[in-house]
Amino acid sequence: MEALRIDRLSKNFGGLRVLRDLSLTVEAGEYVAIIGPNGAGKTTLLNVITGELSANTGRLYLFGKDITAMPTHQRVHAGLGRSFQITRLFYDVTALDNISLALQASRPSRYQMFRRAASYSEVFAEAEGLLKAIDLWDKKDELAAGISYGEQRKMEIILALASKPKLLLMDEPTSGLAPAEIDGFIRMVKTLAAGTTLVFAAHDMDVVFDLAHRVIVLYYGQIIAEGTPEQIQGNRKVKEIYLGVEKDAPNAGVS
Amino acid sequence: MEIAVNLLNGISYGMILFIMASGLSLIFGVMGILNLAHGALYVIGAYIGLALATQGIDFFLAALTAGVVIGLLGLVLERALLGRLYKQVNEQVLLTLGLVYIFSNVILWIWGPVTQMGRAPSILQGGVNIGDSSYPLYRLVIILIGLAIFVGLWFFQEKTRIGAIMRAGMDDKQMTIGLGINYGLFYSFIFFLGCLLAGLAGFLGTPVIGIAPWLSFDILLLALIVIVVGGVGYVQGTLVGAILIGVIDSFGRVYFPDFALFTIYLAMIIILLYRPTGLLGRAQ
Amino acid sequence: MKTGRTDLHALGMQAWRGRLALYGAYALIGVIIILLPPFVSADLKSMITKVLIYGIFALSLNLLFGYTGLFSLGHAAFFGVGSYTAAILMMKYGIGNFWLLIAAGLLAATICAAFFGFIVLRVSGIYFLLVSLAIGQLLYSVAIKWRTMTGGINGIAGITYPDIGIPWFTLTSTSFYYLVFIFFVICLFLLYRVVKSPFGHALQGIRGDERRMQCLGYNTWLYKYIAFVVGGLFAGIAGVLAIYQSGVVGPTSLGVLTSTVVMLMVIIGSDRVFLGPVLGAALVVLLGHYSSIYIAERWPMILGGIFVLSVMFLRGGVSIHLVRLWKKVQYRYGST
Repeated sequence: MEALRIDRLSKNFGGLRVLRDLSLTVEAGEYVAIIGPNGAGKTTLLNVITGELSANTGRLYLFGKDITAMPTHQRVHAGLGRSFQITRLFYDVTALDNISLALQASRPSRYQMFRRAASYSEVFAEAEGLLKAIDLWDKKDELAAGISYGEQRKMEIILALASKPKLLLMDEPTSGLAPAEIDGFIRMVKTLAAGTTLVFAAHDMDVVFDLAHRVIVLYYGQIIAEGTPEQIQGNRKVKEIYLGVEKDAPNAGVS
Repeated sequence: MEIAVNLLNGISYGMILFIMASGLSLIFGVMGILNLAHGALYVIGAYIGLALATQGIDFFLAALTAGVVIGLLGLVLERALLGRLYKQVNEQVLLTLGLVYIFSNVILWIWGPVTQMGRAPSILQGGVNIGDSSYPLYRLVIILIGLAIFVGLWFFQEKTRIGAIMRAGMDDKQMTIGLGINYGLFYSFIFFLGCLLAGLAGFLGTPVIGIAPWLSFDILLLALIVIVVGGVGYVQGTLVGAILIGVIDSFGRVYFPDFALFTIYLAMIIILLYRPTGLLGRAQ
Repeated sequence: MKTGRTDLHALGMQAWRGRLALYGAYALIGVIIILLPPFVSADLKSMITKVLIYGIFALSLNLLFGYTGLFSLGHAAFFGVGSYTAAILMMKYGIGNFWLLIAAGLLAATICAAFFGFIVLRVSGIYFLLVSLAIGQLLYSVAIKWRTMTGGINGIAGITYPDIGIPWFTLTSTSFYYLVFIFFVICLFLLYRVVKSPFGHALQGIRGDERRMQCLGYNTWLYKYIAFVVGGLFAGIAGVLAIYQSGVVGPTSLGVLTSTVVMLMVIIGSDRVFLGPVLGAALVVLLGHYSSIYIAERWPMILGGIFVLSVMFLRGGVSIHLVRLWKKVQYRYGST
């Protein structure tokens, strides 16, 4: 079963073509890494899949459903989840409140206007489970702004997983983490996201090797190579791109 | 001929609006701050200019001085108050709101609750013959002044590096890196220029629309309508918007006085809905 | 970093003693308000009535501003619609029953908010501000021009107390005071429930990071729309009550001046504490009233000055500092 199918996707910003006639499929249960130099279009691709950006041409299918015209929140209800490269938490509320807010999003009670949010014990129980799974239960009453960066990164993933997505998009999940933290982080992702299809943008090849079944290489908005991590590592074209890019000045800018 | 007269009235009135609104648009376009005190600054400029003119100072010198004084006032506000709320857009807007209350009241205190009408300088007090009637020379000169200011701003926008950056809409960090200019200084300059235009417009407008202490909000609203209709980011948009509003107002007073105001606000809402960036604005 | 809402919970006041003390303080204030009338001048009574009315108005704006992050300078539109609806029905069509009038005013304000909500929420940020402003001014221009209905620029005057529906009972300033107080308490309670509900938490999430909320699955447009309508509803209630406190209604009730005054109240009192706007209303109304005795014409300047100071230094307004002070007192005198 296809978790995600992208048909001839293009995205332009004014005259700049960021994604060009891009097509790819992801099978259910697969872990796919998207790599490429800065400016290749990784984050833009993720933004188009979530719907934060609209495609100029092309179609998107999530588990067979055409989501091309769907607004972001409906895609989430169709099974999509997303975590961000730069951590986006609700910093002025507690860790518990962050998770509760994320959990409430998939429940009809999210429109409830008279019952106190704190009274939803099932939400509380589930939040407890999630926080304990990432070792943050003792910090549940701390403001999200007050926990360490590594803990915030964990929260970032948990927030995305709260809606129990069938397809999780992660943008540089280990961004900013110290090397020592990365292994444990990946293990956590593997445990929590078991059974979920993963599509993630990554820079760190160790993470790619550890986590990905398949790698897609993006360059100037086009897929120039696809294969297992080993195949990609040996791919000459890919090496040229990365080495070539290193030789010239690196493109400042976003991917 | 009546149409020609109304048209010229609308255009000359629109020019006053243009000079004033271009200042607001500049500040908003570059700094993202909606200076709600802009109308109050216009009013103060008018009064300062009038005070100078009644002392016998040459009309245009008074105009320029009024502009500079208001520009400096704006500079002080920017450095002392607004600058401290760096990047907090809501707070900056709120601050300018508080300033309107203060300024309006100070104006009332100093100059009293009396409408005043300025007088065109003696060399411009005559009229030009259009058809069989005489049209005020001053109003025609205002149109020329407005066009001159437009050309100056347009040149700044299109032909200078700073203008290019403004058009590209880059944020301050990239500007600093790109040009090595002190963006704090740049912001202050823009604010100075924007406020100068408000003060200048205020005094130049006194022979055309007069001035009164309670006009701060009305002038502000006109400026907002102009930049909404014309669009933010390009000075030609402000010109088009200002002329359009001026002409609608002028014809409105004559042909449909009961609906002019309503029509203008309605137009503003419709444009905000379907072309939020205005008729010629920069796509955000 | 954005400082967020000051939730007593987050300040560590889980201690039942702390909360009890706070509720005790509120109860005390409530009792004082209830017992006040026989002991104070008619003037002060009228002012407190005004405070309560504007308290509702300011709380309704804060639902949009402090909780959802919608910076509106056109909220008076719904306040004014409430006022005009009740005034016109009463003075022009002779409907004297208070309950009909308040229902009509409330409904009119809500319908307006529902209609304009579609328009204003098509844009965001500064453009939202401009559209909200334009809507208020649009209605203002309508009120001025529709002379036959609204009394034009002079508005409608000579509004007397309505009929409360009890045969032998006519409203006096004192009984109206209590009526307003009851409405105030009810509105306070309802709005409190709304902000504490999942809906209210979602609003705050939207204020914090709308994009993230969308990626979590929230239909953020719908939340903003509902908040806008609910805010308009409560503003309408305040608008209806206001015409009886002042006896008049005019186009300014709809326009930018009223919209900015209520925003001033929200900011001065604090948009980050639930009761902040009420405190702001109290400060603005009472200070304004009493300064008018001594320095009448300078009040707008003083108000502007207080406002500027609030924005610059009292980030979060007066209430935040009171809350922090309370917390300090708590720690000093120990509480588990």
